[in-house]
Amino acid sequence: MPGKTRKTPLKDADRDYLALGLEGSANKLGAGIMKHSKDGAAIVLSNIRHTYITPPGEGFQPRDTALHHREWALKVINDCLTKAGVSMHEIDCICFTKGPGMGAPLQSVALIARTLSLLFSKPLVGVNHCVGHIEMGREITGAQNPVVLYVSGGNTQVIAYSRQCYRIFGETLDIAVGNCLDRFARIINLSNDPSPGYNIEQEAKKGNRLLSLPYATKGMDISLSGILSAAETYTLDKRFRAQGATGDEDTITPQDLCFSLQETVFAMLVEITERAMAHIGSKEVLIVGGVGSNERLQQMMGIMAQERQARVFATDERFCIDNGIMIAQAGLLSYRMGYETPLAKTTCTQRFRTDEVHVAWRA
Amino acid sequence: MTENWHSVTLNIPFASEKHALIAKQVIEVDSELQFHVVKRTIEVDGHVLIAAFSTLTVRLARLAANAFLENVDLVVRTLERFGEEAENPPSS
Repeated sequence: MPGKTRKTPLKDADRDYLALGLEGSANKLGAGIMKHSKDGAAIVLSNIRHTYITPPGEGFQPRDTALHHREWALKVINDCLTKAGVSMHEIDCICFTKGPGMGAPLQSVALIARTLSLLFSKPLVGVNHCVGHIEMGREITGAQNPVVLYVSGGNTQVIAYSRQCYRIFGETLDIAVGNCLDRFARIINLSNDPSPGYNIEQEAKKGNRLLSLPYATKGMDISLSGILSAAETYTLDKRFRAQGATGDEDTITPQDLCFSLQETVFAMLVEITERAMAHIGSKEVLIVGGVGSNERLQQMMGIMAQERQARVFATDERFCIDNGIMIAQAGLLSYRMGYETPLAKTTCTQRFRTDEVHVAWRA
Repeated sequence: MTENWHSVTLNIPFASEKHALIAKQVIEVDSELQFHVVKRTIEVDGHVLIAAFSTLTVRLARLAANAFLENVDLVVRTLERFGEEAENPPSS
């Protein structure tokens, strides 16, 4: 394991702490209640989420997504409190996603967070969405100091921790891998229920041909928009059969394309993750973000890790896909180190880099 | 220059002065997206929230007033859902 073991600056909890976390940066509206107990345990008391699912072939736009959040947030928060058996009065802090993400949806959640904060006189803690994913991944899996592959619809980053900062080792130069997969799902008109990525994964299992797609790693980074265009071009090929396999030799089916797309982009992700691991000598990989729930990606990462005598850590869809509990977790860690966001600074921002956060709670 | 601008004033009564002040503090945090051509003031008078907009174009007046009212609606629904519980802290 690289680096000396330093004593964590996070002091033991002198009492039980409760945090409410609110997440709404994309099309998932999540609320969660996290408890940090005196004996050092972190317990998920509740984690409720509602997803805005668009019809096949359509993506989610900022305005409609914001309307969805405004419609569902109060119910989700209420259910979250009821399930945890906790009242707002017992909460220590209200954590919300400050960014990155889509402007209008983020702001909708922030308005509710501020209102609750003033009503119940609770401090607000603005949380970076990416740091939320990382902290929840660490908590659930127990990974000590992993290279983190954060892959979702909005973000694709390879991250490693050093000196109170989550440093970005590699990332996408254009679009996120989840965005690439989602947009391809729209091209072939796959259902968005439960998520386009899940349906691509299922279709890929039925694919037979590995079609040639550009393999675009750029050093420690990757580029995905060219691959998306190439995959789309195949759907215009005269060998393409939209309904699926016809028994003819030389056909291209949507299942073949899903399979080829996954194999190509996941191999690229495994490569840039491996580069970061080699750079710092890490023996652990933590995969977080919605695309992290893809079992093929976990499998491919596992093959690479095994060759390096390393371990892969991943969480299930409750924590991989955007949720409120991860915001509560990261927020509560900040809060326990004395961090609060004053009301005037509780604006949201679409661009909030992972390495802008001062990770005070780690050595 | 601003004499030829359009203006819209909205008066929203709340259940109490406390709620009106909460609405003011919550909404005023976010500045207008086009603050050069949309001037906004938010005040509270008793239990009434008063928002005044002065905008360069009619379209901006519509957008600013509409966005404000949507935000007020969200705050009002939140106060409605949680307001009573906030007034009744559990006796511990």
